[in-house]
Amino acid sequence: MTSLLLKGIEKHFGSVNVIRGVDLRIDDGEFVVFVGPSGCGKSTLLRLISGLEHISDGELMIGDRLVNEVQPSERGVAMVFQSYALYPHLTVRDNMGFGLKVRKVPAGERQRRINEAAATLKLDALLDRYPRELSGGQRQRVAIGRAIVGNPDVFLFDEPLSNLDAELRVHMRSEIAALHKRLSTTMIYVTHDQIEAMTLADKIVVLRDGRIEQVGSPRELYERPANMFVAQFIGSPKMNVLPAANAQLLTPAAVVPASAESVGVRPEHLKVSKAQDGIVRGKVSLCEYTGAITLLHVTLPDGQLCLVTSDDHMAPSLGSEIGLTAQAEKLHFFDHQGRREKPVSDVGVQ
Amino acid sequence: MTQRQIQILYRACWTIALLIAAIPFVFPFIWMVSAGFKSVTEIFGAPTLIPRVWRWQNFIEVFTYQPFARQYFNSLYIAILVTVLTLVIASLAGYALARMRFAGAGLLMLFLISALMVPEEVTIIPNFFLMRWAGLMDTHWPLILLPTFGPHGVMATFLMRQYFLALPKELEEAGKMDGLSRFGVWWQIALPMSRPALAAVAIITFLFSWNLFLEPLIFVSSLEMFTLPLALSNFNDSYGLPLWNLQLAATSLAVVPILIVYLIAQRQIIESFALSGVKG
Amino acid sequence: MTDIIHNLKTTRTSQKPWLTLKAREMMEAWLFVSPSFIGFLIFFLGPLCAVVYYSLTEWNLLTQQATFVGLRNFENALLENPDFWHVVRNSVIFALGLVPLNMALALTLALALSRPFFGVVFFRTVFFAPVITSAIAWAIVWKFLLQGEGGFINQVLALVGITGPNWLREPGWAMAAVIITRVIKMVGLNMILYIAALQAIPRDYEEAARLEGASRWQIFSMITWPLLAPTTLVIMVITTIGSFKVFDHIYQMTGGGPENGTLVLAFYIYQQGFKFFNVGYASTLAMIMFVIVMALTIVQVMLRRKGME
Repeated sequence: MTSLLLKGIEKHFGSVNVIRGVDLRIDDGEFVVFVGPSGCGKSTLLRLISGLEHISDGELMIGDRLVNEVQPSERGVAMVFQSYALYPHLTVRDNMGFGLKVRKVPAGERQRRINEAAATLKLDALLDRYPRELSGGQRQRVAIGRAIVGNPDVFLFDEPLSNLDAELRVHMRSEIAALHKRLSTTMIYVTHDQIEAMTLADKIVVLRDGRIEQVGSPRELYERPANMFVAQFIGSPKMNVLPAANAQLLTPAAVVPASAESVGVRPEHLKVSKAQDGIVRGKVSLCEYTGAITLLHVTLPDGQLCLVTSDDHMAPSLGSEIGLTAQAEKLHFFDHQGRREKPVSDVGVQ
Repeated sequence: MTQRQIQILYRACWTIALLIAAIPFVFPFIWMVSAGFKSVTEIFGAPTLIPRVWRWQNFIEVFTYQPFARQYFNSLYIAILVTVLTLVIASLAGYALARMRFAGAGLLMLFLISALMVPEEVTIIPNFFLMRWAGLMDTHWPLILLPTFGPHGVMATFLMRQYFLALPKELEEAGKMDGLSRFGVWWQIALPMSRPALAAVAIITFLFSWNLFLEPLIFVSSLEMFTLPLALSNFNDSYGLPLWNLQLAATSLAVVPILIVYLIAQRQIIESFALSGVKG
Repeated sequence: MTDIIHNLKTTRTSQKPWLTLKAREMMEAWLFVSPSFIGFLIFFLGPLCAVVYYSLTEWNLLTQQATFVGLRNFENALLENPDFWHVVRNSVIFALGLVPLNMALALTLALALSRPFFGVVFFRTVFFAPVITSAIAWAIVWKFLLQGEGGFINQVLALVGITGPNWLREPGWAMAAVIITRVIKMVGLNMILYIAALQAIPRDYEEAARLEGASRWQIFSMITWPLLAPTTLVIMVITTIGSFKVFDHIYQMTGGGPENGTLVLAFYIYQQGFKFFNVGYASTLAMIMFVIVMALTIVQVMLRRKGME
């Protein structure tokens, strides 16, 4: 019932346009992740949805209600903040119950909902503690608990895991995924971490400079990036972009669209071969051994750097000359503006 | 001598120097209390720290010479009222200036900063006519209104604003998401988290009002309306010469309770002044 | 997808509240500042404008009402009335005596008391105690101690064979007494500000300098003092402005006397305005005080900007 619709949303701070016309549809129960480099406007967009910032132009519908001029607390959304924003002078119980109290939910009902949420998040033992007595992960859980008790139509997460250490982040990530599965409520999640985006999202929205670059499932973004920015933003290590002429050298099977200017190929799709004619050649300038794979930095004859991952235990030695090949269907072509060119092979797939 | 011995000697010299330096800071208080117990003749005799005859009667005469109890009460209630008013008004305005976007905010800030720098002496003459016009002469209204809205009140506003600015914004946004109004966010989230700043403002405001002299001198004329500093300067005989023993006894009564509170809460009080940093 | 969005109907008009969120926030903000702002208009801005006008009028016991006379009062003060320059001279002497003494003592005490040692809290408490005490009370006690005959100070001096002056009855001594007792009263405040500044200086600097063999004096003159410069500037201006505002202390100790020897600007304004009822002239004096304070403040702001560059 609670889909969201953003129509031509804009936000100006003085003369600075932070959001420049965003159109987006979010379906009921979807887990949507806003991702992009810092300053792309992803947090601002979330804050516009929450109502903490005023929308300069455009329309925002939550459910079938236009909410541009509706107070944050009346939009049916709950937010989990980056810093958790737990009230330091209130216990965990009172933190979680605060919104209900403001909304004059009777005490009995309030207790029931707090206990229910606490049970879900394994917070039972911590209810009478103060936020300063909790660990980072526990605070995070309380922040989520506070959002749950209000029974919102939409959850908003503003980089909720960025203050946790690496191990805890992976753990909380899976807990949030599990939470979404159980509640199947619409969730919007902002992050700059593309791994978080890929693992959590039903739908990823890639933003840059206040505009949407692409909307799609993680797989779509990885396999069919709409442009060079998305291609390089999604996937780690990032995609290599070479002049289009190299396509024929990587694989003779490549069909290069006429207007293609560059060709992109992910490091994990390049294969190391012996240096010989008709193959992209380069010198290994750096080997980064990480255990499972080895990341090779290869300097091409024109001076460009090309990344290659190799799971071969017999990685080539530093300074040696190697050749690179790739499968035709793993190549991405972009025109002079960086937009995706449909490779000829795509036609059959679709 | 070893390095350690030099260190100890150095410290000892400093401590002795500090003890000597402390004399003019402490001695007046001691002498004040001591003289408050003496008779007029003993006051001008050879100086003794302990009175030869303890004249408790001084402390009774203080209350019969003028309505000192009433004057004491005046100072107390005015100081409390000014403190409460300043807390409310300064934290409201300070919050808006720290957190809310509104047309005219910049100009308002500029106005208030300029008010911060202008001494009360500059505006006291027009304020005199204002109060006379409003029929508030010889009432306590000027002593409540002028300190609350004067440079001191502005200073309190800026102190609160600085403190609010340093608070995490997300907490207040969480409050907003939880359904609080602006006023609710201020009252239930911003204020409880600002206790140190509120305490500092309360302390310096109370003392400011308690020690205020120019305004009482100008606006108040009947003995029943006097505040303490005015009352203290009023212990004179019919020739206008000070009745020293009464005056010092009364001064002791006015100063010692404040000093006791100060000794108990010295850390908090000193920090409050360090925080404000713009008084004197 | 874009097509789908634009085909959906919206119901903007039916849901528009009487105030947009933005307008509402603005209204709330003005409600928050209104008590402060209204008080500011009535008790500060209005009177400030009034005092400008008063300063341009002849208004005293004889006239009983304000008559516009232009800059006549300023001419009177600056060119004709010998009292005025006498008062200015007194105020300047007062400031020149008080400010350096106060600051030097404050810095010395702060240097001694900025690091924890046994008794540090005791000393800080003692040196700060006069700050919270009423200026009237402080002046009463010191006036008592400084009496010519039978005053405690002179009795102590007599013990070592010195005949002390009648402190508060001789112009030069009276000024000195007022300055020194005022310094003792207020030095604690500057001491606290200096201590806060000293404690904000990272210990690393001093430790690095010590490793390089710097002496205590070198550390102070080459590291601590330059790093204290912004604080020194602020304290200097605040103390100077404060010295021009001193009223209660002088009122109680000397009443401006003897022979107007301690008649300073703030006291002169009070005397002219409320004793002699020369409203026009007193307002002119208030304007002059306003200009002096403003000038000092602007100097401070400019110096601070320069320091930042």
